[in-house]
Amino acid sequence: MISNNAVISLSEMIVAYDALPVLDGLTLGVPAGSITALLGGNGAGKSTTLATLLGFVQARSGTVSVCGIDPAIDPDAARRKIAYLPENVALYDHLTAQENAEYLLALSDQKPDADAISRAFASAGLQEGAWRHRLGAFSKGMRQKVAIAVALLREVPVLLLDEPTSGLDPAATADFNALLSQVRDRGTAVLMVTHDLLSAADVADRIVFLESGQVTDDVAADGPDRFDVRALHARFQSARGPVAA
Amino acid sequence: MSAVRLIARDELRLMARNRVAVIAFVLLVLLTLVAVASAWSHQRNIAELRERNAHAAESAFDRQPDRHPHRVVHAGHFIFRPLGPLAAFDPGVDAFTGNSMFLEGHRQNTANFGDVRQSSLLVRFGLLTPAFVLQVVAPLLLIFLGYGVLARERERGTLRVLLLQGAGRGEVVGGKLLAVGTVAMLAGLPAMIGFALIAGQPGALVLPMLTIAGGYLLYLALWVLLIVLVSALVRRSLDALLALLALWVVTVVLLPRLAPDVAGAAVPLDNRLQTDVAIARDLRAMGDSHDPDDPYFDEFKQSVLERYDVGTVEELPVNYQGLLAMEGEQMTSKLFDQYADKSYNAQERQNWMVEWLGVLSPAISVRSVSMAAAGTDFAGHRRFLDQAEAYRYELVQQLNRLQAEAVSYADDIAEDPGADDRRRVAAANWAKMPDFGFRPATSAELARAAVPGLLMLVGWLVLAGLALASATRRLGWAK
Repeated sequence: MISNNAVISLSEMIVAYDALPVLDGLTLGVPAGSITALLGGNGAGKSTTLATLLGFVQARSGTVSVCGIDPAIDPDAARRKIAYLPENVALYDHLTAQENAEYLLALSDQKPDADAISRAFASAGLQEGAWRHRLGAFSKGMRQKVAIAVALLREVPVLLLDEPTSGLDPAATADFNALLSQVRDRGTAVLMVTHDLLSAADVADRIVFLESGQVTDDVAADGPDRFDVRALHARFQSARGPVAA
Repeated sequence: MSAVRLIARDELRLMARNRVAVIAFVLLVLLTLVAVASAWSHQRNIAELRERNAHAAESAFDRQPDRHPHRVVHAGHFIFRPLGPLAAFDPGVDAFTGNSMFLEGHRQNTANFGDVRQSSLLVRFGLLTPAFVLQVVAPLLLIFLGYGVLARERERGTLRVLLLQGAGRGEVVGGKLLAVGTVAMLAGLPAMIGFALIAGQPGALVLPMLTIAGGYLLYLALWVLLIVLVSALVRRSLDALLALLALWVVTVVLLPRLAPDVAGAAVPLDNRLQTDVAIARDLRAMGDSHDPDDPYFDEFKQSVLERYDVGTVEELPVNYQGLLAMEGEQMTSKLFDQYADKSYNAQERQNWMVEWLGVLSPAISVRSVSMAAAGTDFAGHRRFLDQAEAYRYELVQQLNRLQAEAVSYADDIAEDPGADDRRRVAAANWAKMPDFGFRPATSAELARAAVPGLLMLVGWLVLAGLALASATRRLGWAK
């Protein structure tokens, strides 16, 4: 079901890599000012959903829209509406954290002053001593924080996150979730792919469970169909298969 | 600042922060400056040496004592091909073809004393000239600096970051082209210093210089396109490097050296010995001016006697020996011209084939453009040979005419002890003979000769541009 004010919408999407179907009639909508967490086991189609929204894969059928733009037709225009935080953060090792932020934001026609970048770094939990160091020596978590800061500084209507807290310690994860709430409050539509059910339950408005490229559960944080974390966790674990002893 | 400039600036910043890249670039600049200085000095020395030798040869010819004109014909005369100012940039075939000729009667000699035969063997492997640096070394540097412009971004995942920041695919590729193009321009700059030096020389022609500059601009622009194209097509930067190195080896090293061999095999040339034997055979068949029973020369004698309305050669108002020498020279020259034309035509077909192999190698095309516009290609060499032969023929015939008019027939055939003195003509006559003056090709002729090579380069650019446009559309797609 897609609400009328959905900024992100996918309808009856079928995507396959060669003969292998990955999205099998996926329908999903994310309204402005909301956070949707997309959960599912490996190969459920979570990352492909993001790649489809980013215009990196071509669907066999179905429709996709980001702020009214079809990424398959005009990926460059669609991407200008999106801030994306990948699981494996890719940034420039030859640049400092500050230079990375300045460069990437300049590419999206933004020129925030040094104070705004500093505030974003601080909000993302990046220590001040690292701001002017090249990324070559940064840990995964530190890179993640730089990428988070850059994503937050992009004032765009859509934020896509792929395992955003995978490199963060618990305190940084809590800080990140707080930041995400702020982003939602300023009207951004957030779609977050994650394995971290607790974090998703903490910050998301809706949790969508994906299996074999189809939505199997779509539950809200509030109201009569409010989700039960324990039940969902059990469902999630069973979908991942038995854990080796 | 536009996305294109931002991406280009970042790529240049990466190169500037890479010590190996900086050292490689500085080395190329130094190499080019050394090439410019060395080629400049080499060209100046050669030009001065040839001018000095030409003066010495003219002076030796003019200072000959009273002599029989036919002795002067056989004494011969050295002439030298002057070196144009653009030869400092691209000496072309000059080092291999020879630059001087010994002119004498009854023979067409080939050019002698190419630098290759007088210098160390290293000269055979290529002179260090600005043209060599731009044709061979500059693309290699561009490959090492630019092979990863897109492949590295893809490999590290930053390509998608660029696209996700809102940079269009065209802007990403445009930025990379601008960065590698900027390096190419900087790499070509020292060679332009050589051009500025040449521009100040007498005889430097603006249009050929612009043609050469345009040719190298197209060539380096093509390498920039090819580098970015390969980098866009492959998944890993190491693959891009290997593919580009293979392309460089084949198109810059292998094909330009293989092409003349292919052309030589397709259009074989007679060697010198075969030609000499064939000419000797034809000369024998032509007739013997010293044989009183030779039918051709008997007919010639009759026609001369009829023309002057006399009964014997002794009654002629001119020396029959001189007329005979003129007729003999005309006949042999015609025969030599036939063989020379055959050889030139074969060489031109070979050169035409080599030029067409530019379809496979832009290095061949830019070399053609460079040598043609500099006037140092085969056409420039042939221009010297043609003018040298025309001068030789005119000089020999003037001397033969002098024999006919200034030496009496009776003295010419006399065998008494004083006859030798009577046959001599005054030494002042030698200085009256015209000196050889090489007429170089005009500005328009040089530029026109470079057009086929330029068209090949434009064709390459269009194809590479279309391929890059197609690769750009696929940039960032999942494979």
